[in-house]
Amino acid sequence: MYQYDAIDQQLVEERVAQFRDQTRRYLNQELSEQEFLPLRLQNGLYVQRYAPMLRIAIPYGMLSSAQLRTLADISCRYDRSYGHFSTRQNLQLNWPKIEDVPDILAELAEVQMHAVQTSGNCIRNTTTDQYAGVISDEIVDPRPYCELIRQWSTFHPEFAFLPRKFKIAVNATESADRAATQVHDIGLHIKKNEAGELGFKVIVGGGLGRTPMVGVTISEFIPRADILTYLDAIIRVYNQQGRRDNKYKARIKILVKALGIEEFRERVEAEWQHLKGKESTVPMSEFERLQSFFSEPNYDILENNPTSLTSKLAESAGFARWFERNTFEHKKAGYRIVTLTLKKAGQAPGDATAEQMQKAADLADKFSFGELRVSHEQNLVLADVKQEQLIELWEAAKEAGFATPTLGLLTDMICCPGGDFCALANAKSIPIAAQIQNTFSDLDYLYDLGNIDLNISGCMNACGHHHVGNIGILGVDKKGEEFYQISIGGASGHDASIGKILGPSFAQEEISDIIQKLMNVYVDNRTEEERFIDTYRRVGITPFKEAAYAKAN
Amino acid sequence: MPKLIKNGAIVDNTYNWLQDEEQAVTADSIVAAKRWLSEKETMGSIAGIWLEAGDGVEFLQDVDLSQFDVIGVHFPAFTDGRGFSYARLLKERLNYQGEIRALGHFIPDQLGYLLRVGFSSFQFSEEVDLEKALALHKPFTIAYQGDVTDPRPLFLRR
Repeated sequence: MYQYDAIDQQLVEERVAQFRDQTRRYLNQELSEQEFLPLRLQNGLYVQRYAPMLRIAIPYGMLSSAQLRTLADISCRYDRSYGHFSTRQNLQLNWPKIEDVPDILAELAEVQMHAVQTSGNCIRNTTTDQYAGVISDEIVDPRPYCELIRQWSTFHPEFAFLPRKFKIAVNATESADRAATQVHDIGLHIKKNEAGELGFKVIVGGGLGRTPMVGVTISEFIPRADILTYLDAIIRVYNQQGRRDNKYKARIKILVKALGIEEFRERVEAEWQHLKGKESTVPMSEFERLQSFFSEPNYDILENNPTSLTSKLAESAGFARWFERNTFEHKKAGYRIVTLTLKKAGQAPGDATAEQMQKAADLADKFSFGELRVSHEQNLVLADVKQEQLIELWEAAKEAGFATPTLGLLTDMICCPGGDFCALANAKSIPIAAQIQNTFSDLDYLYDLGNIDLNISGCMNACGHHHVGNIGILGVDKKGEEFYQISIGGASGHDASIGKILGPSFAQEEISDIIQKLMNVYVDNRTEEERFIDTYRRVGITPFKEAAYAKAN
Repeated sequence: MPKLIKNGAIVDNTYNWLQDEEQAVTADSIVAAKRWLSEKETMGSIAGIWLEAGDGVEFLQDVDLSQFDVIGVHFPAFTDGRGFSYARLLKERLNYQGEIRALGHFIPDQLGYLLRVGFSSFQFSEEVDLEKALALHKPFTIAYQGDVTDPRPLFLRR
């Protein structure tokens, strides 16, 4: 993974010093609440329902075991011994004290970490596929490009006060889009043109929140050398022309929609003509420098499917189930990608205790070259596990609560912290996740249902990505009471779509029952090969709606 | 005389920022750009013009900007970042070489970014302690991106 040089290190240390001074002036009342707000947000610090929340950046989800141990240790000494992994591959601490934050940042800087631009109306953490670099069908490893974008966006002097937040995600494979790029402000798809040159298809104007939209293609191919000047052009147009009168209409998607993609593209092209070929054009030497940090680890020469694995698969249904769901094909023979799920019943989705973080770091050291990734679905990934060590890893993962074999299934939910923590939330989301986990605990049934994305957000801001869940649950406030609106038909991959609302919202205690009814409609209507989303797309919303709102006899 | 920060020092403000359309124009006035454009035939010599957020810079394309000693950029709120692009475009696109002055509701903690996009003078609101603001002048000694002082990104300097 990327390693800081003296310059990168100096920058994060200067940022710590700057933030320490800002915090001191705020606590001295030299800085007003209003002035401190965007300054602290640009360093990931929110003031939440009960306490501040600090969002720590995990650039494109890459973590070393040493970094994860530091996070575990920080959570013990400054917080309540746990953290929450977010859909944008970051880690949130829910209970730090404002006055401790500069010290936390100083400790993070020692392991090349920070909280730069994890919030605020600026360019946020760039995210990508959690399987980057280890799958066989990607065009190239997207991580060097993510690092390029990370550096370009860090303290960008022109774009620190945009109309609204700005999120970029990168994907590099046609077989899947695990980074939900089409619901980002900018989605970048690495591709090769007919001449075999590397570049990006650029998608703009996707996003969730109050007005969910799937992005549209602004350019089919931007050569990789030109990517930063093209991004500068897009964001310069947005910075000047995006709406600033209404925060709910300030995202780039609203500008793109209002102008129409042709007009928006023309404006970006006109701006780009001035920037193209100038100093920000990326030289080959920089691509090579960045790629050198992501060279292959020292893989052993191995065969696929060693007998120890195949015999265990034959004799242990539990292991076979975990292998099928929670591991993924690796580009190297004899290796496998393993997801450590953070979806154990009784634990909020994406939460990990300090002990679990320590354990995951140990597992990374023992089985996966000391590195981990955080996934958009709020799980941890060990990318380079030898197949012959899978049984040992499975045993250890079970013990630590990482082996719930439900990756991609109904109970592998995305869930925001919701009303239990968040000041913005209209309703709690964690109890809904718990209810669903408890109700749908029969693994055979879950397997029979197959791949279903269920996403839960506690409010319209959609941090739980409910719009793009095959089933989406949104907390709403009805005269001071918490209700839940259910939508179906959303998707976040290459076939991204926004879900449709079923109808009037439901009380908290009804949710599992309604989900059960939706599952029954699916099971009754599906053909052999169909996933839930396929059946929905074929039969439409009506049968689901009828089942959900049918009166009991 | 009111003070401002200019080229890294606290100095007297010798110009007069005309916010009100009705105010009489004198040789030390900084006049709203749109007003100057419509009245320039009858307007005598002035110190410079200022841009309102929303104006953009394109309408100045055919104007000889070297006639101005100063161009102001107004921040209606410090969170309104349009002025950052305007300053940069004045320098890099319209090749304006003179002083670019930040006006209005920007805050001292933005100085680092403001300097990098081309501002050289800062007329803070009255309650700001300029000595303290000056201390925030340069939070970072290095940058990843190119800017108006050095257009080369770090990858050309590393």
